[in-house]
Amino acid sequence: MSVEAREARQPWILLSPALTAVGLLLFVPLIFIVVYSFWLRTASGADQVGFFLDNWQEALTDRFYRDILISTLRIAAITTLVCALMGYPAAYFIARSRGNKAILLLMLMLPFWISYIIRTMSWINILGVSGALNTFLMWTGLVSEPIQMLYNEPTVILGLVHFLLPFMILNVYVSLDGIDMTLEEAATSLGANRWEAFLQVTLPLSLPGLAAGGLLCFVLGAGTYITPLVLGGPSDAMFANLVFEAIITQLNWPLGSALSLMLLAVLGLLVAIYNRYLGMAQLMKGLG
Amino acid sequence: MRSTSGLGWHLIRGWALLVYVFMFLPVAVVVLLSFNDSQFGSFPMTGLSFRWFVELWENEAILRAFETSIVLCLLTSIISTTLGVLASLALVRYRVPGANAISTLLIAPILVPEVVLAVALLLFLNFLGIHKSFALLLFGHVIFTLPFVILVVQARLVSIRREIEEAAMSLGANPVQTFFQITLPLMLPAVLAGALFAFTISFDDITGTLFWKPGGVETIPTQIFAMLRNSISPEINALGTVMIVMTVGLPLLGVAVARRLAQRSGG
Amino acid sequence: MTDKMDTTTRLERLRERYMNGDLDRRGFLGLIGAAGLAYGVQTPFARHALAANVSQVRFDGWGGVVSEAFRKYAFDPYTKQTGIEVVDGTFGGGDEYLSRVKASPTGEYNIAHLSGVFDYARYHNLGLSSELNEANIPNLKYVIPKLVDVFRAVTDGKLSCVPYDYGTTGIAYNRKHVSDDEMKEKGAKILIDERLKDKISGWGDWRTRIWFGALQTDQDPNNATDMDAVWDAIRQHRDLSLKYWGSGAELMSLLAEEEIYVTEGWSGRIYALQEQGHDIGYMDPPNGYGWQECLFVIKGSPMEPCEELLNFMLAPETSIAVAEGQNYPPALDPQKVDLGKKIPTLPAFDPTGKLAGLTFADPGYWNGHEAEWSKTFGRVQKGY
Repeated sequence: MSVEAREARQPWILLSPALTAVGLLLFVPLIFIVVYSFWLRTASGADQVGFFLDNWQEALTDRFYRDILISTLRIAAITTLVCALMGYPAAYFIARSRGNKAILLLMLMLPFWISYIIRTMSWINILGVSGALNTFLMWTGLVSEPIQMLYNEPTVILGLVHFLLPFMILNVYVSLDGIDMTLEEAATSLGANRWEAFLQVTLPLSLPGLAAGGLLCFVLGAGTYITPLVLGGPSDAMFANLVFEAIITQLNWPLGSALSLMLLAVLGLLVAIYNRYLGMAQLMKGLG
Repeated sequence: MRSTSGLGWHLIRGWALLVYVFMFLPVAVVVLLSFNDSQFGSFPMTGLSFRWFVELWENEAILRAFETSIVLCLLTSIISTTLGVLASLALVRYRVPGANAISTLLIAPILVPEVVLAVALLLFLNFLGIHKSFALLLFGHVIFTLPFVILVVQARLVSIRREIEEAAMSLGANPVQTFFQITLPLMLPAVLAGALFAFTISFDDITGTLFWKPGGVETIPTQIFAMLRNSISPEINALGTVMIVMTVGLPLLGVAVARRLAQRSGG
Repeated sequence: MTDKMDTTTRLERLRERYMNGDLDRRGFLGLIGAAGLAYGVQTPFARHALAANVSQVRFDGWGGVVSEAFRKYAFDPYTKQTGIEVVDGTFGGGDEYLSRVKASPTGEYNIAHLSGVFDYARYHNLGLSSELNEANIPNLKYVIPKLVDVFRAVTDGKLSCVPYDYGTTGIAYNRKHVSDDEMKEKGAKILIDERLKDKISGWGDWRTRIWFGALQTDQDPNNATDMDAVWDAIRQHRDLSLKYWGSGAELMSLLAEEEIYVTEGWSGRIYALQEQGHDIGYMDPPNGYGWQECLFVIKGSPMEPCEELLNFMLAPETSIAVAEGQNYPPALDPQKVDLGKKIPTLPAFDPTGKLAGLTFADPGYWNGHEAEWSKTFGRVQKGY
């Protein structure tokens, strides 16, 4: 066998386990979902087999779904932005600190030992009317009446940020850690002030991590359904709630399938754009 | 070390401290409540007590679920990290036709709402006539933790210069040696981060686990979920506290002991 | 178990050969992989084969105190007597469980602790009901007849389940902010009282919302004629509400932390709060919402072992232990069985065993509208 042929085969050998797993356990099962999306749920609860476009027509034309999809994307975008603003400096601190980095990173993952539901529900003890913050504010005399802080869109975002921030920080950290610190120092010695050196050297080099973290935050944020249930008010629902309700509460798998394929399409499109313009190939060119 | 001094650095350190405080708020609540005397956790605490730790120790169901969770997460994180590292290497180090598309495909598991993935996989198994098993649960977890590993490892790999690997090869190392001696150590932080992601995501997963678990298999989150209707037992808070003490306390203790020993031998 | 032993010994032998140098490393790893794969594929079939000669029965229910009580008082004695193992699983809610059952092969799930009549009728409509041989469940004679009759009506006089416990969804209120007198005067309408804006909550469940919507518009909850008025009441409640709750744990923390002053609540959960010393009142308004839970046997299950297990679970000591754990009275008739000290103090408990004061949902009426109403509520809930 020629060297080129072996060279060409190697990546596929490396890729095959992951591709097989995702293909067999995600894409083949998704075929069922595609098929289901053309069935129809009858009033009695049973599914009618056939080729109906009703679910798709409903999912695509009804303003209800479009509105919630847009607000879901908006919430995910805000969450991602907040995560980036909060997470980048923290990641920078970990990467450049002289302390024990492993412990700093491990500490970041600690909240995950407390199950998601409990973590989310425990905000009531912090931000609730008789929670820690209100008690503190009343004690200092800053307010005389407890402030109602929970159960609105900002608290949904707060819950999401708390869940997603570690992903952002770890991704950025991993990138920053790979950057040679002397580069920044070289830039400062060439007359740039530290801020300029950061902007021109460190930030561009850490973009892959920031982009990967951002993508994770956005996609996970857009697919969440428990946070809005626990931390949102009556009308703070996200798209995954609709999918969950259709599939679980209403047992309307055909409609739920159409809705989830719609979400998959929108998020998939965003990832494709990311891969095209911000993705690895693009970043490599920038670095090369 | 010029970069770790000055006003900018102090601001960054202060900011990072705030971020940690934010991350720890709910953790603090849970840890405090695990010492609460009364059953339905709420402040102000009625009294200090270790009874939930004692009851946790005697609660077989929760301990068994904890064991299952740990085994499941460890296996998930090993398999997922291995698959993820291999795939990332292929995507970053080789010229693969359609690399962008493949990248998107491999991230797809987190684009599908989990409940849909859960139902779809069950339908597929049903179609094949295969019953649920622990292996299925494990593979399910591998699927949705894979994207986390791939994203973080790829991001690190891009920033490792190809020239270093090429230099090793030109010095006579074969590709496998190069990988284990040069590339792997360089991307180790990302591999560990990926493994940590996979572990925690798997540890925290509810939806998929609910659908895929075979009879008699419960994880900590499914146990909690099943308690929601009545009330979550404070033993769960106690378990969280124990885990936190173990994950932070032991390494910190190790570091402290090492430092003490180093001081003694140095002084 | 035999499969596992085989695999283990096979691996052990392989390792020896590897240590002796008979096998190169690649061959060794490959064989281990193959063995692991074979084990992984084999297990599900082995499980299936076991199910054929009934060595185990699968039960699914709520976790925590409930499953602990079942394990101790019913499952362990049952296994001791019959040799059949009870594999217990848990779920987070009835809807989620039904989705799982629907997506799994018949026979995978056997007995489940379901919310009474609705789910019973739903499972029946989906062709998932079975037919119990009541002669095998002698303890059924202790059960309150009214609870059994509701089920018989759905399945033509036969039973696919046994009733297990009952409770009400009434109105819970913080006595510091809402007086008993005000509650008596306003009843269900307190939940749409402008004065309490943002201090109101409710369960985000379409049936409960429609039931209380009917009460708020003075209609019969089992036969509302003016649905537009009901939906308006639901919207009004939504606009005044701080949030919807989704679980008993959440209901309790919202009330205990004084985030809200009034909400509907499950009787057992409010009782647990009162037990803890919180000054929370509980009232079942006229035509209040009564419900019951049952132990349902799913089609395709081994019937005789299941019936025997049901008998163990219905035994007074098991019933009482479960009831005291979750604070809902058992389905046993207090006229026939001594229920101990605590149960008579539980809300919704009826010492006469007639349950004349409770209104249960009419399954035909509710399930007939399920598809339409659950979907409409999904929208109304989100502000549409």
